[in-house]
Amino acid sequence: MTIVSGKAEARRRLQPATSDVLRKMWEHRADYAYVLPAIAVMLIVIAYPIYYTIELSFFNTPPGLQLRDKIFVGFNNYTAILTSGVFWQVTFNTLIWTAASTFISFVLGFAAALALHRDFIGRGILRAILIIPWVISAVAASYIWKWIYHSDFGIIGAVLVELGWATRPPNFIDSVSTVLPSLIVVNIWREFPFAMIMMTAGLQTVPEQLLRAAKVDGANAWQRFWHVTFPHLRNVSTVTILLLAVANFNSFIIPWIMTGGGPSNASHIWITHIYELAFGRQRWGVASAYSVLLFIILMTLGYFYVRALSGNERKDGSA
Amino acid sequence: MSTVSETISRGQPARRLRIDGWRWGGRAFLVFMLLYTALPMIWMLLTSIKSGFAAMQFPPQWWPDQPTLASYQKLLDPQNSVGQDFLRFFWNSLIVSTATTILSVIVAVPAAYAFSRFTFPGRNFLFFAVLLRNMFPAVIFLVPLFILMRAIGLVNTHGSLVLTYLTFGLPLAIWLLKGFYDNIPVQLEQAARIDGATRFQAFILIVMPLSAPGIIATAIYSFIGAWNEYIYAYTFLSKNEQLTLPVGIQRFFSENTTDFPGLMAASFMMSVPVVVLFLLLQRYFVRALTEGAVKH
Amino acid sequence: MAHVVLKDLVKTYGSFKAVNEVSLTINDGEFVALVGPSGCGKTTTLNLVAGLTSATSGDIFIGDRVVNDLDPKDRDIAMVFQNYALYPQKSVYMNLAFPLQMRKLPKGEIDRKVREAARVLDMTQLLERKPRELSGGQQQRVALGRALVRDPAVFLMDEPLSNLDAKLRVQMRSEIKRFHQDLKATIIYVTHDQLEAVTMADRMAVMNGGYLQQYDSPAQVFAHPANMFVASFVGSPAMSLIPLEASMGNGGAVLTSAEGWSLELSPRNAQKVARATTKKVVLGARHSTIKLHKSAVPGAIPAKAYTVEPTGDVTFVQALLSGAIVNISVSPNIAVTPDEQIWLEFDQERMHLFDSETEMALEAN
Repeated sequence: MTIVSGKAEARRRLQPATSDVLRKMWEHRADYAYVLPAIAVMLIVIAYPIYYTIELSFFNTPPGLQLRDKIFVGFNNYTAILTSGVFWQVTFNTLIWTAASTFISFVLGFAAALALHRDFIGRGILRAILIIPWVISAVAASYIWKWIYHSDFGIIGAVLVELGWATRPPNFIDSVSTVLPSLIVVNIWREFPFAMIMMTAGLQTVPEQLLRAAKVDGANAWQRFWHVTFPHLRNVSTVTILLLAVANFNSFIIPWIMTGGGPSNASHIWITHIYELAFGRQRWGVASAYSVLLFIILMTLGYFYVRALSGNERKDGSA
Repeated sequence: MSTVSETISRGQPARRLRIDGWRWGGRAFLVFMLLYTALPMIWMLLTSIKSGFAAMQFPPQWWPDQPTLASYQKLLDPQNSVGQDFLRFFWNSLIVSTATTILSVIVAVPAAYAFSRFTFPGRNFLFFAVLLRNMFPAVIFLVPLFILMRAIGLVNTHGSLVLTYLTFGLPLAIWLLKGFYDNIPVQLEQAARIDGATRFQAFILIVMPLSAPGIIATAIYSFIGAWNEYIYAYTFLSKNEQLTLPVGIQRFFSENTTDFPGLMAASFMMSVPVVVLFLLLQRYFVRALTEGAVKH
Repeated sequence: MAHVVLKDLVKTYGSFKAVNEVSLTINDGEFVALVGPSGCGKTTTLNLVAGLTSATSGDIFIGDRVVNDLDPKDRDIAMVFQNYALYPQKSVYMNLAFPLQMRKLPKGEIDRKVREAARVLDMTQLLERKPRELSGGQQQRVALGRALVRDPAVFLMDEPLSNLDAKLRVQMRSEIKRFHQDLKATIIYVTHDQLEAVTMADRMAVMNGGYLQQYDSPAQVFAHPANMFVASFVGSPAMSLIPLEASMGNGGAVLTSAEGWSLELSPRNAQKVARATTKKVVLGARHSTIKLHKSAVPGAIPAKAYTVEPTGDVTFVQALLSGAIVNISVSPNIAVTPDEQIWLEFDQERMHLFDSETEMALEAN
């Protein structure tokens, strides 16, 4: 009661009736001016595209045809997708890509954050170096790694030959069996710093007193981590993992530039596949149907994302 | 405290070993991560100072026999066509990224402030709607946005990119800044208003300076995002003189498939502005995350 | 300086009534404390006067102006906050200068006034520091300084001492009181600490649940609490409240406890009880009006000591009586041990009687 802030008011307010809402909206009309620009931009760039994508997914657009001459085909695009073999291959690739990239990036990033938590000489520089891959453009990263993986002059192949572990440089990204893992290594290279930054920030909020108390209670380093640090970071971890998963699910640049989805679709994931369908083969309808399916999957993920975030909100409110 | 831990370790030598095991494990891990992170970048730099011929050797020259800055000179020379293109792409990227950054801050600051301070109906819904934008891949919006941009005559303009890039940066910017405003006591503004400031003055004179780290972090994020964006630029722009760096470099490479030193030099120069910017301002970024987003 | 009038002030949040029909007149130069427990509406009332929240209904006058629709900046008020609300990025000097800059005073005059305020509050040597480099007491003083540089019509203070440690609080209490006497300022002071209100204010407005309970001088509130809430809120240790049954007979009245004992009332107190709407009456007595006997005395009631708290110059004894805890203060040289049998004698002149249903004090006529 000592402070009547906006939050206190919000908490005290009970569920209002509908007419109440209109009255309140009118009372707060000035407040909307602050969010209006943000909402307007979002509406143009999000709401309209979503509507348009859903509409287009029910139409066929043969190559060479103008978009306005599209032909209504009902759910044909959807059945075509779900019965095609490529769909299942690409979905499998996407799952592997997303799961492996997310999990390994998170583990490496978290471990790096922990290892960098204790102060030592050169910590700042080391941390800065580890972050760089996240900052540079994925296009640059793709070319750097494409050169590293090069089947004739790549440095990894050369090292393997030099060490006698291979007779000739392996084809990392030109072979169906190794292309996806190779690309995942590149993706992790770019993504783990994000997890590291998030977890570093999270670690700074772990109360020192709690760790000291655990030490006094006789907990060893591992027990302190498992019983104090880790539970405290559950929320940050959830948000980080979700953001990583979404970013990976939505990856495009690395597979597109490094392999274009090949060889024989072995590195195609959903997004590159959709892009190729739309802009490569002009099959806008099918691409849109893919997008709608993707949209549904992402909404499901988004539900958990919002729940994780609003969990934070609630904790914040009661603090 | 110290005596306690000493007696414990003397009683149980195994534990001491294990703690050291953790520390050494951590160091070994950091060395591994350093190699994983840095070696590709070092190889990029080493390649970029080789001649085209020297780069294409097997086994490779681990260290360039005759280091040369020819690739850089070529890219930065306004006299030849490669240099002209590269400098133009660089300039385009700078324009687009700067415009995006300024607009992001202008749009995100009031929105984040409102989400933090006001209790208008629909606040939570709108807040999460804004955050949800992060969930969707660029590709979903590509076709309709392309058509939309064509309809409003923005195709092949930088305006189409700025407008689109705004929406990438905004969700995180608003989220970060909201965390900042949540942590600024509302009494500071009240005090300012009683001291004679209008609501707007209280915001500009008192709240804005306090949220400067958040605003800087937001700006970095927007700039880097815009600087590195590829897919929209690739789709929306077709004229050579409009291209931004990521697309421009890709085009350059598809025409000069074997010029790896040139490509590495271009990749390096494309990375320099964002890396420098980030390294200079990274403490704001981590602070913004700690104070803003993560603390909730 | 100006007087302040609150007329039928109401503030609701949805269906929650934070402030309920509060009417108060604060005279020019008067120091009024708004006091009550957390959530009683005192800070909301202050924010209404400041203009930081807008009233649902009712009027606020500062001087002779209705200020309901004025911005805080136009109300000619100054405010001191609980957390001081010093601008962290500004030096002490700039914090003090800010209200004057906002009013577009010439630079020379700002400088003169800032230095004058710094001199009065004895912090000239702190002017270049940032707020975070100051102790709690110094920050408090800067906050006060920022309020007084401007020479406003009314000072509003929102729990300005509650973030200080106990010793500093006592010291700042007298400084603020001195400040009021020197400036003859109109001050509205919000606190949850009744001791601050009693020691500093000319008049105190006791609030609870959004309602004004009593508005009078501390001495009057202390001597004649209007109801059971005020009686138990003001004074420390709190007034003991003992629920009893009243019975009238041949001109007198007797209070009977469920425990079996009874207490014959004086004629004046009998008169009060006669006006009650119910037979259930609550007897209120402050610790200093109860006499403790170690042996039976006529008119004294037997009880058992429960706890004994020596404080040095006075010892507080708590006894259980009719299901209520009764506080008694005794001289430290009277030794009482827990569970000891004692006898309590109430001072009929200084005892309070309340109607247990309306909770209002019973008056003689």
